[in-house]
Amino acid sequence: MGEDDKIVLNILNEIQDKHGYISENLLKQTSEQLNIPIARLWGVVNFHTMLRTKKQGKYIIELCGSPSCVLSESREIENFLKKELNIDIGETTTDGLFSVYKTSCIGCCNEAPAMLLNNEPYTNLTTDIVKKIIEEKRNANSKRN
Amino acid sequence: MQILRETKLESLKKAKEIGRESALQILEKKGLVGRGGAAFPTAKKWRMALNVKSKTRYLICNADEGEPGTFKDRFILKNNPETFIEGILVAAFILDVKKCFIYLRGEYNFLRKDLEEKISELLKKSKMKIKIDIVRGSGAYICGEETAIIQSIMGFRGNAMQKPPYPTIKGLWGKPTVINNVETLTCVAQALFYNDWNPNIRLFSISGDVEHPGLYEWELGVKISTILDTVKPENGKVKAMSFGCFGGIMPVKKTEAISSESICKNNCHHGAFTIIFIGEDKNILDMCLSISKFYTYESCGKCTPCREGTIRILNLLKKIRDKRAIKEDLNFLKDLANHIQETSLCGLGQSCGNHVLTAMNFFREDFEKFLK
Repeated sequence: MGEDDKIVLNILNEIQDKHGYISENLLKQTSEQLNIPIARLWGVVNFHTMLRTKKQGKYIIELCGSPSCVLSESREIENFLKKELNIDIGETTTDGLFSVYKTSCIGCCNEAPAMLLNNEPYTNLTTDIVKKIIEEKRNANSKRN
Repeated sequence: MQILRETKLESLKKAKEIGRESALQILEKKGLVGRGGAAFPTAKKWRMALNVKSKTRYLICNADEGEPGTFKDRFILKNNPETFIEGILVAAFILDVKKCFIYLRGEYNFLRKDLEEKISELLKKSKMKIKIDIVRGSGAYICGEETAIIQSIMGFRGNAMQKPPYPTIKGLWGKPTVINNVETLTCVAQALFYNDWNPNIRLFSISGDVEHPGLYEWELGVKISTILDTVKPENGKVKAMSFGCFGGIMPVKKTEAISSESICKNNCHHGAFTIIFIGEDKNILDMCLSISKFYTYESCGKCTPCREGTIRILNLLKKIRDKRAIKEDLNFLKDLANHIQETSLCGLGQSCGNHVLTAMNFFREDFEKFLK
């Protein structure tokens, strides 16, 4: 395996895919396996907003905050999400279902306002649409419980 | 649309038949320039890397499209991935590259699986003995900058680096490295194969206060009135256009053409032809606040002018919004923006005040009315 086969970002993303987030323990193990100082790995993880070091909600919402979305009233969606989930940006609901973040741009500017939910784009949002999405996810989980 | 034309591996076949030098000459003759916004001649960049004696060369496809308002590369990755991948194969053949990386932004992770399938399908069909790995970008806008993308792929923080050396001379792991974006590589395949390929047809990402936002193709030099006739301003009128976050904000002058000369005349840059239209009822200060938040969030933090300056710009704009500012604050804001642009290390810092400078020039009343 050459140096160009060991892509740190991919390795970190795979850890996150598997465990939901990158804990200190996992980072220590990775540091030993890759023979890369943990300080450097920590530097990479906290540089990238989509790599998380804390337990996340089952559904990660990333609301687009680009000027195109702001012009299309994304602030209303933001306020609605905060109120409906009773959390601030960057927080996770107490039931562990939702985490909400704001991103710079998700490239859906022609279908603004938009957000990603677990990496899938949801576009042309209104508060009604977002309400429906949240209810669907809540119902799906209460049935399972 | 020209960008949707498929090449079905005929472009690669042609490149192999005519050889590296002839293929480069065709790209030169066709006038293909980089479509990431900087418009550097593609064949010239490739020759720079070819002129370096090295057993190993790398190709990075920059799919870290992050400029707010831009969505052309997402459109290509979704609607014509085969031709895009063929562009990588052609580039790999001409550059004698054995390993390529596609740096795919995290926000486009939903496209990754399909892309991986298409890559293995085309590698099999083409019998090319090269590797194409997707690198999973993870939400850092700066990684679209060419020195930062190299740091990021090599497993470091995506900090911008001093140039020279340029990546074509000393890039990934110290080897000559060519970085092209998605649209450029797609155009490589198309320009080589189609005799009637037109270099002046460009993709325009249109969003904001219009009835028909979307991706359009127009020729360079298209009149703003033509664009507006198609996309239709919401409520009949738009007052300003912002070229993404970095390109500045200027008034909508219907008779003006979209060309480097006419846009530069307004101290703006069209970059990758991203236009966000701003409605008559919107306040430009509000738009500037939104753009400044973006820069504060995305500055990599390496150089002081950008790290500290972007926050100062944002705080001054908030001060104006909150009616706490006086006239001198506006002058200070202008000086500050100019100073940051002159002293920052990379393109992000060098452009982080464009929106403020152009907006204060054209829409000063939108700032002055908030002064105490």
